[in-house]
Formats: sequence, structure tokens, C-alpha cells
Amino acid sequence: MKLTRTFRRLAVASAVALTLGGVAQAEEVTIGFTGPLSGGAALYGENTVEGLRMAATEINEAGGFDVDGENYTIKIEALDDKYSPSQAAVNGKRLVQQYKAPIIFTPHSGGTFALQAFNERDGFLVMSYTSVPAVTAKGNKLTVKIPPNFTDYLVPFAKITMDRFGKNMAVANATHDYAKYWTKEFVPVWRKMGGEVVATNPMDYNKSADYYTGVSKVLAEKPDVMFVGGASEPTGLVVRQARELGFKGGFVIMDQAKIDEVAKVSGGLESLEGSVGVVPLADYNTPGAERFVKLWTEKHDGVATSETAYHYFAMYLLMHAMQEAGSVDDPAAIRAAIPEALKDVDPKHNPYDVTAITDDGNLGAEPQIAEVKDGKVVIRETRDYKE
Amino acid sequence: MDVFLQQALNGLTLGSIYGLVALGLTLVYGILHVPNFAHGALYMVGAYVSYFIMVEHGLNYWVAMAGAGVVVAVLSVLCERLVFHPLRHAPPIHDKIAAIGILLFLEAVVQMHWGADFRRMPTPYTEIFHFGSLTLPAQRLLIIVGAFSLMGALHLYLKKTMTGSTIIAMAQNREGAFLVGIDANRVAMMTFAIAGFLAAVGATLFAPINLVYPAMGHLVIMKAFVIIILGGMGSIPGAIVGGLIIGFAEALGGYYLSGTYKDLIAFVLLVAILSIKPTGLFTKGVR
Repeated sequence: MKLTRTFRRLAVASAVALTLGGVAQAEEVTIGFTGPLSGGAALYGENTVEGLRMAATEINEAGGFDVDGENYTIKIEALDDKYSPSQAAVNGKRLVQQYKAPIIFTPHSGGTFALQAFNERDGFLVMSYTSVPAVTAKGNKLTVKIPPNFTDYLVPFAKITMDRFGKNMAVANATHDYAKYWTKEFVPVWRKMGGEVVATNPMDYNKSADYYTGVSKVLAEKPDVMFVGGASEPTGLVVRQARELGFKGGFVIMDQAKIDEVAKVSGGLESLEGSVGVVPLADYNTPGAERFVKLWTEKHDGVATSETAYHYFAMYLLMHAMQEAGSVDDPAAIRAAIPEALKDVDPKHNPYDVTAITDDGNLGAEPQIAEVKDGKVVIRETRDYKE
Repeated sequence: MDVFLQQALNGLTLGSIYGLVALGLTLVYGILHVPNFAHGALYMVGAYVSYFIMVEHGLNYWVAMAGAGVVVAVLSVLCERLVFHPLRHAPPIHDKIAAIGILLFLEAVVQMHWGADFRRMPTPYTEIFHFGSLTLPAQRLLIIVGAFSLMGALHLYLKKTMTGSTIIAMAQNREGAFLVGIDANRVAMMTFAIAGFLAAVGATLFAPINLVYPAMGHLVIMKAFVIIILGGMGSIPGAIVGGLIIGFAEALGGYYLSGTYKDLIAFVLLVAILSIKPTGLFTKGVR
């Protein structure tokens, strides 16, 4: 099987390289990307890189952008790492050495940590799409974390579901690193608020053919609330099977899964009654979000997701940062110009109204929360649920 | 006791799907003498064809299943004609490489046409039966009944009809089969068609309780490999029993031991069985 994997990687990489190759122009900034473009997480990877492409296409079609009197267009160079940190590191080296990319996007924490091992030395800015706080907590000077910290969700999630359903929680989320971070942070919060964890049975959302066994195992402990989450669609299956097996309580849905996508698989919003999760992009009522959802549906099937919207925004942000910095190849200057650039970003390119960046590189806005109540998504503010 | 029965039912559901896929794999092994890596891709294509017929064209579930069966059977025969047949005098490694090529090709084509999205195929049978505290959705019942009827039908076909016997004869002894005048081409095509059909029907049965996406074949094919090694390469009862063993090991092991280690349980079983019977459970002279 090792052979298969190598072959597939090669094939995908060359396919991606071919489609993106195109004709090189003189004044072109290459933005690198390494993320899962094949395998189980391919959809997520495609969604993230699509956000970059949408913005780049718009910018290029509008005639590029000017930095220090020179006109530039953007080229996205996307490489497949199949979610593997080691492959992300290899891709990172390639993007810097072969494609001279000053900025590399990666949509997973493992890839981010791998790139951080050499990004300051090799001189490129890591744009990390993960809500793991450790990414920016380590003091890496050339890292920007795009979405909010997931830790902002913990207290409100616990409070809303505990008040409505009860104190007994079962952990039935996925087994990848990010899910483990979540469990590690969420369980203490739940306990501190007087809750109990009655069952812990994480399941491999990518490798399980069926969740009946795992779900019935946690349901045997009669939980009031189930903590689930991984990619949206498998999460939907877990929810669906829990309902089929007679579970009546609420779900805490990890922020990786999106309520609207989960609902498509789990059997509509009714099946998610009492769930808390991140707010679906379509329910955000900023002008940027509305415009983005429209833009997305013009050219794509399916639901517009937050990862696409955030990447779309990040591409515009970087363009403005390059202009402010007066450089397209000095990552430190580009990073330093981000606070100024945030003021330049047009609200229509900023679906989540991001307005600030912390010194350690955290972009995240104060997130809202979605609760499913009486079959509808109700928006809650995180600040209303402090400990 | 109820819990045990519930898990046994889950195991039976999983086991019958694994068994169906492993059956196709083991039949083709009898012809190729290498595992057909592309079999999981055929399974995946089967699910997509059903999805295409049923969701995108609004036809009946059974029509979709039959359609998928036929399309994938033809596709499977094409693979044999265009790829494996020309390689029949080549060393086995060429077959393996070709099979991987087919796998990559099919996945890429599907991803190009349908994208990498997870898709959901609805089932017309949404009832959920309750027996005491046992929960059995109709689709799962359909999987069990469907898979076992197919296995039964296949058994009758292989044992009671002349064409069926030729397939077994080829698998058991190629030269012997030639000596008694069996047409190797016909048998090879027949075998690939049956394998493709089984994979597509298995996928259509299983898709409504799972998701349809380009990488869905990997999951099942890995299990199917374990199963045919466990049951004995090329053995038909071996594939069925092996499928059930893995299905039950996952369900019961996942419940009573640990969900995290349920895949490990399957492989530990494999090691245990192979150390007692190194050729697998049901090998009868088939290499």
C-alpha cells in the first residue's frame, strides 16, 4: 500500500502542478499552499484553497495590484500533503525553494508546526488555518493564525447544553490531533462547571465504516449531552445514528464541523435539536458574509463554508499588507504591515468582520455561537457566557 | 444480552458487506493470482453510479442498484480486456502496478466529475424496527438479507451451472481447465463481471447508511484484503466466513474492549489465525 500512496501523491501533485502551471508572467507573486487535496480530508483542503483562488482570480481580473509602483498578479501554488505534517514540511521546502513563495498557507495544526520548524530561517510567512492556540503561543514571529481560538467556545458550549439537558456528557468525537486537543480542553471546563463525563469513546471518523458500535457504547451510559465532531459529514452520520438508537439529548459539535453541513446528513435541523456549534456562514448577517455566500453559489454546488470565506479574506488582507509594506518578498515586513492592512480591507471582502491582530499573530474575531432551538439556528454571543 | 444481540446485528451488517466485497476480490484472485487493488475503486464507482441514477435522475433504488451492477460489471470486464488480458504473460508485479493504475485513474475520474464532496444517498427504506431494546433500521436489515441472498445465489451459480463450474475449475487448476477445453477468455471476463457486480451491489446496499466520496473504497478494500488472507486466498467460503469474523470482531471488540483498538483487534485475529493456519482458514490447493 505504501507504493499506492506514493503513486497517488505523485499523481495528484503533478496534476495540481499541471493545472496551476499556466504561463508564467514577469510580475507575479506566488502564494504557496500545502493541505489535504486527496484522501478523506480532500474536500476540506479544496474548500480552503478555493477561497484563495476566488480572491486571487478577482484581484487578477481587476488588473492585479500595485506595490511600490510595480504591478503584480497573484498565482496560487497548491501542493497536496494528505494532512501529513512531514509531507507539509517537504511541500513547504519546495514552495520556498522552487516557487519562491513568500507566504505559505496551511489549513491544519500539524502542518503549521512542521512549517514553523524552519519558516523563520527560510524566510516565509505561515498563514495557519487552525484554531489551536498553541500555534501562535510559541512565539514564532512569522505566523498568522486566521480563525478564532477554539477555547473561546468551551464555556458557552458547556453552559448552554448543560442548562438545557443535564450534567452527564459522553465524549464521542473523532480521534485526530485536533479532536484530542478539544477533548483535553473541553472536559476540564465541563467538570469545573459541575458536569460529569460518563463515557469516553472517540471514534476514527475517517476510517470507520459504521458508528453503531461506538455510538451504542456511549449511549449505554445514558448521557444527557454528546460531544461529537470531526469533518461535518461523518459527524452527521454519528448524530443520525445516535438519534436512530434513541438518543434524546443535545450535541456539542466541535468547531471543525458546520451545523448546516451536519444537518444535511443527520436528517435536517430537527435531528440537531439542542445542539451548539459554530455559526454557519449563511446565518452570519454581515454584508461581507452575504456577498460571499452569493459569490460562492454562483460558481459552486453545496454550502459556502467558513474556511473558504476566511481564506478569501486572508488573501485580500495579504494583498493590502504587501502594499502597506511596499514589498512582495519580505515576509517580516508583510507581517508587520498587517495591522495597517486590516484597515484597508473592504468590508465586502471581510465576511467575519476581522478588525484586529494580536502581537503574537492571532487574527480571530470574537466568535458567535449557534444553538439549534425549535428547529432553527439561534445566534448567541460568546461574551454573554463568561464563567 | 440485548446489548450483545445489538452488537451481533451490527457485526452481521458490517460482515455481510465486507463479505460481498471480499467475494469479488477472491474470485478475481483465482484468475489473476494477484490481489486486484482496483477492486475498492470499482466499489466506489458502483456507489457513484447508483447515486447518479437515483439522486441525479430520480429513479428507483432497485433500478439504481441494477444499473450500477451492470455498469460496474462492464467496467470490470473492460479492465480485464484492456489491462489485465494483455499482461497475462507478464510477471505478476505488472498486474499489481496495472491494478494500482486503474485505482488511481478511477478515483481521479470520479473526483474530477463529482468533486471530493461527501454525498449522501438516501434510502427508500427509512423505517426503524424495534424488537424490545434492539434497534434495526430497515436498510440494515436489507443489507443483511441482500448480501446473504447474493452469496447464496453465487454459490448455486458456481456449483450448479456449467459456466459456474468453469470458473471454479480455472481457479483450481489453470492447465487442467485448458486440457478439458475451457475457454480462458470467457471465464476471465465472466469472473471480472461477477466481481464488479458484487462490488457495485455491495456499495449500493451500504451507501445509504454511510457516505459516498472518492476515497470510500479504501476503507472497505483494506478490510477485504485482510478477509481473503484470513479466509484463504481464492476461497469462496473463506471470504464469507472471513467477512463475518472481521465484522463481528469490529462490532463486539469495539463495544466490549475498546473502540480505539477495534481495527487492531481485526489484525490481531489475523495474526493469530495465520500462526495456526498459515494458508488461511479454507485453502484447498488454490495458490
